Amino acid sequence: MKRPKIISFICIVGYLSVLLAFPQVFSPQVKKLGALMPALFGVLVAANFIACVGIWYYKQWGVQLYLLSFFAKILFNLSIDDLGFGFYFNLTLTVLFIFALLRFYPKMDRNL
Amino acid sequence: MFFVLFKESLLFAWQSLVGNKLRSFLSLLGITIGIFAIILVFTIVDSLENNIRGSIQTLGNNVVYVQKWPWLFGPDYPWWKYINRPTPQYYELDELNKRCRSTEALAYRLGARKTIKYKSSNIQNAVVAGISHDFYKIKSFDLSAGRYFTQNETDAGYHVTLIGAEIAAGLFPNEDPLGKEIKIAGQKATVIGVITKEGESLLGNSYDYQAIIPFNFARYLMDTKSENSDPTIYAKARPNVSNAEMIDELTGLLRSIRRLKPLSEPNFALNEISLLSKGFDTLFGIIGLAGWIIGGFSILVGGFGIANIMFVSVRERTNLIGIQKSLGARNIFILVQFLGESVLLCIIGGFFGLLLTWLMTLLARSAMEIDISLTGTNIILGFTISVLIGIISGFIPAYGASQLDPVEAIRSN
Repeated sequence: MKRPKIISFICIVGYLSVLLAFPQVFSPQVKKLGALMPALFGVLVAANFIACVGIWYYKQWGVQLYLLSFFAKILFNLSIDDLGFGFYFNLTLTVLFIFALLRFYPKMDRNL
Repeated sequence: MFFVLFKESLLFAWQSLVGNKLRSFLSLLGITIGIFAIILVFTIVDSLENNIRGSIQTLGNNVVYVQKWPWLFGPDYPWWKYINRPTPQYYELDELNKRCRSTEALAYRLGARKTIKYKSSNIQNAVVAGISHDFYKIKSFDLSAGRYFTQNETDAGYHVTLIGAEIAAGLFPNEDPLGKEIKIAGQKATVIGVITKEGESLLGNSYDYQAIIPFNFARYLMDTKSENSDPTIYAKARPNVSNAEMIDELTGLLRSIRRLKPLSEPNFALNEISLLSKGFDTLFGIIGLAGWIIGGFSILVGGFGIANIMFVSVRERTNLIGIQKSLGARNIFILVQFLGESVLLCIIGGFFGLLLTWLMTLLARSAMEIDISLTGTNIILGFTISVLIGIISGFIPAYGASQLDPVEAIRSN
């Protein structure tokens, strides 16, 4: 099945955000939050990347993982009290993406 | 069931890595160098930061330093504003002692580098510090032997001294220093105490290499008005009095002592430890950022190497994937197999990177005698980055492999 353009756009934005988030895993700011915080943040980045790959291949598990990583990211931001402009911007953008993804969700492949 | 599958997948991955030793070695080299670069920089920064912060803490957070020069950092230090300021004088300490209410203790210190001799042994350029009596209330001395000055000794400027552990070891390798007469810049002084060994300090404020003498003795050895001897008045706040309150009072009193007009600029600086900490925060921020960028690029290159090798690996084993799938292997099995290979490769690379970092810290410690060590946080960080780069660079090839059609895959060369 041909992938809709909006899905491709979401995935490209997702890949770019992973590319930008990856160096933050070992940034001094995240490191200062605690010994296990880089590992935790790394798991979130990896989950986000895998979700994007899943969505790229038009798979339902990709959307499910995307939702999970979205909520986990919110919890992470709340736990470190990082609620600046960037957080709300990401939140708005991701919510819009989720609505778009849910529109196509029933048509997506159920298999791995 | 999942664990059996996982174990079997990893076994396949391991066999593949062992089967292509040179290729595995070359591809993990990128990760090794990346992890080595990034963790080494973090280790150096952390160790220096701990050492300097430890040294700063020993100075005390509730102490204010009355000096000529303010502790400002950055490229635009307006030195011309401060160059003509007078240095703090001992009589100002006396005045402050009489009038200041917010301080628990006030003390005066100045220092210079002098030669210390005992018989045929001598130590050149040792730091000789002249202090007022209450200095011990601001920065405590742990004495391994002997005692502190009496009030009478400091007031009368007796020729007595407390020496640091390294000076004691240098001048008296096989003798008890207590009661011995040494010469400080040609002046005789009796050793009445030895300060407990403190160890290296990057700020250079360790007592190990210092000889402490009463101020009234020091005034014969050094110029009390010269800024080379760094004359400083130390003010320690009372418990329940904030530094800001103490600074307010000190500012008013010093302006009155120096007879400054109400609208004129103060000609003294009241420095706090927090200023020093802020300066180092900026410095360590820059070093950390530089390490972050250098390491980030190394890791990125390593990640591309792994991704490339994984694509080659999938291409090379397409036929095998087809056979596995036709025999009933599920997609998840193929996915975990290739993803496991990629993550394993990165973990081994990361392990060698961390091993190299550890060896470097051992080398640095023995060569430069700096307390530098690979911390648990940095080890966790190294493995986290390795696993993450393994997942990111290996997932697309692995997923591609898991989606192959068995018939097409078997048919491929």
